[in-house]
Amino acid sequence: MDDYLVSVVSNIGIISFVALSAYLLLLTGEISFGQQAFFAIGAYAAGIATAMWGWPLPLAIAWGAAAGAACAVTLGIPTLRLRGLQFAIATLAFAEMVRILFELWRYQIDIDGEPVGPNGTDGFRNIRYVFDHNIEAFDFMMLIYAVLAVTLGSFMLLERSRLGVIFRMIGEDATLASLQGIAVARYKVFAAGIAGALAAVGGGLYAHLTTYVEPRTFDVMLGVHSLAYGLIGGLGTALGPLLGVVIDVGLLESVRLFAGYRMIIFGGLVALLLIVRPRGLLDERLVHGIGRLFRNAKSGTTRTGRGPP
Amino acid sequence: MRTIVCTLVAIAALLAGYPQAAHGQVRAKAAVTCVSAGQVLEYDCTIKLANARSGEPLSGLTVSVGADMPSMPGMHNVRRVKATEQAEKGAYHVRLELEMHGDWAVHIDLRGAVRDRVVAMLRFEEAEVTDVKPSPSRRGH
Repeated sequence: MDDYLVSVVSNIGIISFVALSAYLLLLTGEISFGQQAFFAIGAYAAGIATAMWGWPLPLAIAWGAAAGAACAVTLGIPTLRLRGLQFAIATLAFAEMVRILFELWRYQIDIDGEPVGPNGTDGFRNIRYVFDHNIEAFDFMMLIYAVLAVTLGSFMLLERSRLGVIFRMIGEDATLASLQGIAVARYKVFAAGIAGALAAVGGGLYAHLTTYVEPRTFDVMLGVHSLAYGLIGGLGTALGPLLGVVIDVGLLESVRLFAGYRMIIFGGLVALLLIVRPRGLLDERLVHGIGRLFRNAKSGTTRTGRGPP
Repeated sequence: MRTIVCTLVAIAALLAGYPQAAHGQVRAKAAVTCVSAGQVLEYDCTIKLANARSGEPLSGLTVSVGADMPSMPGMHNVRRVKATEQAEKGAYHVRLELEMHGDWAVHIDLRGAVRDRVVAMLRFEEAEVTDVKPSPSRRGH
């Protein structure tokens, strides 16, 4: 597989985590412009764990996810009482606060005569786990997609579970869900925690893919994009945000014709879709329609007793 | 809850299959200088590679160079270009074609006797290319 293709496909996989993270919050009716903060926390935490503490990658990613989840829950408890615009602004403010903290934070140790660790605006370089362990770019891409496949499978299960129904109920009408005896605040904090962990897993993988991170990597641009992926791809299924990422990173990135104009096209696409399909390409209606088609085809086959030859 | 626990266990199992043993490897450092190649957004770059510890020039390597914009992670990927080795020991030349002016993280991937990646932060402007250094204006807070 071509190096460039591996690189683009790996990026699609990694950005999908932060897109799924924003999508989960959208399901519960919350718009977050701050998921990049947890992506950053995961990137720094996992990078520190492997590059400075010598932890193995799995443990480092898990530690990053735990740090992301803990910060998301800590943020969620006070902010999920806010609604709509106030919540969106609070998440954006938190993300900027995290970014600025990383700009100010210096924590370096000497490894083989070289300073290693976060160094303020210079960022955090030499996250060399992949190179120190001779992991090929293709193998790392496969790891990203294996983790993504597990995550996506879990989303599919979640959406069929009681928890998934509760998340969607809260997203549709939190007051009505509350009247039905659902502890809305508790479930929202729970969703925020999972979303934080997901973004942090993406961040941890990103830090090890690129070998460096710096605070400005995690500015509002990433947050806006992650939110837009769900809105473009659709909110009917977890495949929606992935479709959004593929359209942006995959299609627009791969087609050199759009180079330099990509952000304009992407912005236009978001605006157009919000007018034409406010719940995205794979919205609930389409997903249910496809599901019904499959069910009908299946039951029709069963009734007539005729299967494929 | 069961779904979440199963997911975490599955992810841990997947990641646990990854290599753990570290290899003592040579680390590289790079000095990168770029100048405009005469065409808009095209730059000729000279990369001088050396062993990070001993300072010895690193020659005979397969060097490929790509770039992305740190402010837009994963969204502007410059296709990797293979660098050509120069007569001077440890020196390589590559022509980069970028999508826009601004700060780019130039990824220099080494293969052969040394496998490593060196990242150089450079600001590509129309007239000149400079190192990106943290400055009070960038901090700005």
